[in-house]
Amino acid sequence: MNGVSSAPLLDRVEDYFVGTFRAMASPCSVLVDTDDPTEAEALLAVAEEEARRIEEKFSRYRRGNLVDQINHSNGRPIDVDEEAALLINYAVTCYAMSDGMFDITSGVLRQVWTFDGSSRVPSRDAVRNCLRHVGWWRVGWKQPTLTLPAGMEIDFGGIGKEYAVDRAAVLIGQRTRSSYVVNFGGDLYMSGPRRGSRTWGVGVDDPDRTGEVALYRLDVSRGGFATSGDASRFVRRRGKRLGHILNPKTGWPVDGAPRSITVFGRTCMEAGTLSTLAYLQGPRARQYLEKQDVQFWIV
Amino acid sequence: MRLQLEPAKPASALRDILHTAALALLLVPGAAKAADTDPTDRIDFTTLLYGEQSRTQIFEPVVRFTHLMSDGQWVSGQLGIDVITGSSPTGALPSGIVQTRTSASGRTITSPAGQIPMAPFKDRRVSLDGQWQRPWGRLVSSTLGGHFSREKDYQSFGVDGKFSTDLMHRLLNITIGGGVSRDSVFPVGGTPAGLSAGTIIHTGSNAKNVSNVLLGASRILSRVWMVSVNGTRTFESGYLTEPYKLITVENRVTGAPVSSLTDKRPSTRDRSSVLLSSVYHLTDDVVYTSYRYYWDTWNVRSHTIDLKYRRVLDADTYVEPLLRYYQQSSASFYTVGLIQGAPLPEYGTSDYRLGKLRTITVGGTFGFRAGDVPGSFTVRGQYMRQAGDGSPPNAIGIQRNFDLSPSISIFSAVVGYTFDY
Amino acid sequence: MIRTARQIGRAMAGLILLLLAGCATVQPWDRDILAEKKMSFNPSPMLQAIDDHIYFSKEASMGGIDAGGGGCGCN
Repeated sequence: MNGVSSAPLLDRVEDYFVGTFRAMASPCSVLVDTDDPTEAEALLAVAEEEARRIEEKFSRYRRGNLVDQINHSNGRPIDVDEEAALLINYAVTCYAMSDGMFDITSGVLRQVWTFDGSSRVPSRDAVRNCLRHVGWWRVGWKQPTLTLPAGMEIDFGGIGKEYAVDRAAVLIGQRTRSSYVVNFGGDLYMSGPRRGSRTWGVGVDDPDRTGEVALYRLDVSRGGFATSGDASRFVRRRGKRLGHILNPKTGWPVDGAPRSITVFGRTCMEAGTLSTLAYLQGPRARQYLEKQDVQFWIV
Repeated sequence: MRLQLEPAKPASALRDILHTAALALLLVPGAAKAADTDPTDRIDFTTLLYGEQSRTQIFEPVVRFTHLMSDGQWVSGQLGIDVITGSSPTGALPSGIVQTRTSASGRTITSPAGQIPMAPFKDRRVSLDGQWQRPWGRLVSSTLGGHFSREKDYQSFGVDGKFSTDLMHRLLNITIGGGVSRDSVFPVGGTPAGLSAGTIIHTGSNAKNVSNVLLGASRILSRVWMVSVNGTRTFESGYLTEPYKLITVENRVTGAPVSSLTDKRPSTRDRSSVLLSSVYHLTDDVVYTSYRYYWDTWNVRSHTIDLKYRRVLDADTYVEPLLRYYQQSSASFYTVGLIQGAPLPEYGTSDYRLGKLRTITVGGTFGFRAGDVPGSFTVRGQYMRQAGDGSPPNAIGIQRNFDLSPSISIFSAVVGYTFDY
Repeated sequence: MIRTARQIGRAMAGLILLLLAGCATVQPWDRDILAEKKMSFNPSPMLQAIDDHIYFSKEASMGGIDAGGGGCGCN
């Protein structure tokens, strides 16, 4: 089953091809509506390469990569390349539009929070100490130079996967006229209808039974889907589930947010950003999304 | 609940701002990977360092080169050199006094009292291997291989092939294969007659023909688990005897060695094995387990259990401890020694490798990358302990006082380097 | 002896049929973990070949190795 190249295998489902690989700690699939296996294999390879490239560059778990260098810069200014600069600009836009709730410097709070389903919750002092290293307003950013004070960290986890989906989709779109879907761990983009004007089927999961039961089934053709929620990572406190998305101003998980918010947008990044921004609104998520005139599902 | 989505409603100001920012990002051409082609070639360097406590030492460097072609075909070639030195048991029994013998190469060997006699040897083996695999469509592939090896007194060459096909939405894989080889044995000093005092019958080479078939099936049972069953049958015919091994003729009362006779084994051997394997993925780590049952027409039966646990430390690094347990029963014509005056059996051997045997191996592999150096490294250390039946029930006289199959400790290390380009 | 071989042959055929029948099915989009390089029955072929050779020369058994592979004067 494995030769020199251990490329993901292609499967045929109905009249399209599916290829799956693992990246960014998630199952990643590419669906291509074609009868040509060579084309499907080539597009799958493009998507996998791009997913790994982005993970390699922007993951905070890789030694020596750009993010690692920034996080260990100890206050020294670091020059970043064009792609990283635009990603930072995007994050800054989200920070501004969310009144500071979407903040890529909040990753350092994971040092005090472990979301393993237990009831281990940090002390108020621990959180307060950690908060001294949170806040984009402390960061010096003048493209292309980023100056991150010592003790602070940036984390692209909140937008990295959606960015990878859209990038893979762009690269695939440049190489084919066939319709395709790029799905990285549930954040996905569909390029258009299948042959015969048929739609791709998408399911919105029941967060208590991820992968088993779909609460809604949608017939869609084009656009991006992303979900924010507490289904996979959480802690319990006084019987309440606290999701893993933290409020960067209090250092505590966002309170009162819905279990799961799925947004449908023009691209995966748009969908992902809106679902995250909505989640950060806590109990006001639904009103927030209604004001954006966007299709969404709240569980 | 099926919903039909309406065309997108006019977007809010926020959405437009986000969309513009995203577009700028997504269309950065420079961010795309440079027109880098995927690696198509691989070179593997592997070196084995092996040492048995006061017995054999082996140094074995191997290099393998693999080339992948655009249509999915690949070819691979390997060159290996085996340098073996040391000494191994002749099969003869220890005695209360020092024993001397003349070896096949004419040297005199002295064996200390009370210890099993050994014979020194030094050899260098060169082996060449090639494979070619090609896909037939998406689901079928065929592999063709050939090998050639040569050492001082042994030569082997053969070809093999197999077909492999994926079925059931690629959840099941069936493989069928077979191979033939022709080996030649040309013992130093000539071929001795079996069960004789060493009378040389001829100095040419002896042929050994080997053919085998294999049938295997592997199945994906879940997202994280796959299992397989493999069966092989090997047929050997021709000269299957070990020309340098000896059987001691003992005094029927005292057990003291009187003389020695050469080894004699049947001229055919049918060998079969069944291997069950499982690969199971935990959160980050993988567990590999396998069990093999082997049997042949010389009446040897064995069980092998192999366990490996790959602990993944990060994307490029892992630690993999291993444990192997092996036990075999003796061949039907295996004998500790022959009794002086008793009629000769049809076949006989005292080669400990055909006797009752148990081997336990523990070890670990460490896989890593070295900073900016391209390619990946593996380092493995292993400790093996092999023991036979040191006090077999039919030992007589003084042989009862000796450990007829002392446990041996074997240390081995392998260093490997793989580079894709 | 032949009786045992037949029994084992039958058991093996039974095992293969069991594999063929199987129960669970894995959807194509769930095959991410299975696509990893370490999900293989022989993840380190060079090391495995060296091991097979060592055990072949120190023990009476063989098999588990792919069909073919070099012979040597060691057993």
